[in-house]
Amino acid sequence: MGAHVELDNVTKFFAGQEKQLHTLHEVSFGIDHGEFISIVGPSGCGKSTLLKIIAGLDFPSSGEVRVKGDTVRGPHSQISMVFQTFGLFPWRTVLENVEYGLEMRKTPKAERRTIARQYLEMVGLEGYEHMYPKQLSGGMKQRVGIARALTVDPEVVLMDEAFSAIDEVTAEVLREEVGAIHKQTGKTFVLVTHNLPEAIELADKVVVLSARPAKVKKIFHIDLSRPRDKAHSTFIHMHTDILHLLKEELESTLLRHKLRGLKEIQKLQDLEAD
Amino acid sequence: MSVEKQQALPLSFSGRMTSGHQAVNYLWILIVGFVILSWELATRLNLIPGSNMPMFSSVLGVFLTSVQQPAFLLRVAHSFINLIFGLVLAFSIALPTAFVAGSRNPFDVTLTPLVMLFGALPDLSFLPLLVLWLGPGDSAAIIMASVAAFFPIYFTVREGTRNIPRELFDVTTVFQSDHLSKFTKMVMPAISPSLFSGLRLAYDFDWEIVIAVEIVTKVSGIGNLIQGTVSGGSLTEGFAAILAIGILAVAVDRLFFGSLESWSRKWS
Repeated sequence: MGAHVELDNVTKFFAGQEKQLHTLHEVSFGIDHGEFISIVGPSGCGKSTLLKIIAGLDFPSSGEVRVKGDTVRGPHSQISMVFQTFGLFPWRTVLENVEYGLEMRKTPKAERRTIARQYLEMVGLEGYEHMYPKQLSGGMKQRVGIARALTVDPEVVLMDEAFSAIDEVTAEVLREEVGAIHKQTGKTFVLVTHNLPEAIELADKVVVLSARPAKVKKIFHIDLSRPRDKAHSTFIHMHTDILHLLKEELESTLLRHKLRGLKEIQKLQDLEAD
Repeated sequence: MSVEKQQALPLSFSGRMTSGHQAVNYLWILIVGFVILSWELATRLNLIPGSNMPMFSSVLGVFLTSVQQPAFLLRVAHSFINLIFGLVLAFSIALPTAFVAGSRNPFDVTLTPLVMLFGALPDLSFLPLLVLWLGPGDSAAIIMASVAAFFPIYFTVREGTRNIPRELFDVTTVFQSDHLSKFTKMVMPAISPSLFSGLRLAYDFDWEIVIAVEIVTKVSGIGNLIQGTVSGGSLTEGFAAILAIGILAVAVDRLFFGSLESWSRKWS
């Protein structure tokens, strides 16, 4: 029996208009039970695609994702997700949104109400059950999103840039709470983010992906006690190291683009010479 | 956590109204009253000859006696039922078609130009053909009403479907919703504000269509009654019938579509 979640040579091509777009290249790593993993990488490298593949929302062109040894072949009852722009149904009240997952599992109404209320309390939204999403701030909307993800009692919670659409002060508070929820529930968390301090603050391991086609560039183990102090020297070192790695990636991408541009110019000049 | 909670905006739609706004909301009654008063005065003072326009008070009198006559009410009901059948028929074809066009681009690029081409033709120009094929009667009126109702429903639903955020589809998938639940619990509520506007437009169009068809094809509805009374020289009865249509049309619009819209305004 391997890790809780295993990514085994996950490769993804997208059919483009002219040629295939190679997004992920043989991405492999394991996530242990109860671990918090952050995935970072240059923008557009395919980290959200990777998360969608783990969620069963998208499929790898080759390779596979396994949860407790079972290959993921679509949405999975053990996997839940928190979305970047919250993904709340505006016509449903806070309580009805949180209940949605259980409703789909045909849980009796009274039971799902009770469970939904427990999780609303966990994310500090008691008293807001009957409000509509439009009446809530971004931070509160994401609390609803987190409660909804937890009510189905998943083993793995995926978070796609979950703090990026919230103002920084609110996001800071919410991160601390997500850290606490992780500790309290013992569930496995996978966070995709472009925010390095956020990745380091929350994770046991930070997976750094390369530029497209994304490969695992390096995995950093964060051995810092929680709650983490961003001013701690190890934190700062870690941040500098990962940032350096990402910059390297970005520069090599830029260089590749420039070279391609130069080749194009050369071709044009050749044509003109003819 | 408590700092953030204060950002909640517990404002309901009605909570935003002040007494000043409420006065503005009832301005239309004043305008209608003014029009009626001018009408009454102009006819009473013979500024408009009685042969062209009866007095409002006599129209109201005829209206009040007519609505107590079963024959009159049956005619109104006849037109209304034709209109509703047309609307339901259009709805049941336009909704699935528009949903498919809105969600899948290959269908949209084929379907929408065809719908637009068809929609660009004036609807009533089909009427003589429909009468030829179906005979002058209810079927022609219903089909005509559904043709007129199709376009507003099609375009609003298509637009509504296109505007559903991709993320909401992902949410339904992650939480393992079956196809039926995706449609009834996500797509339908998501497109409902657009659908309501489309239905409301279609309903307004259809009153015109149904009346026009009745005048031409002699379906014994209220439009036909207006035609009969006016050509028979009884303008007062004609106006009373128009008044009946107006009141019914506004009542349905306010009660049915108004309540649908106030539901969607609660959250959208």
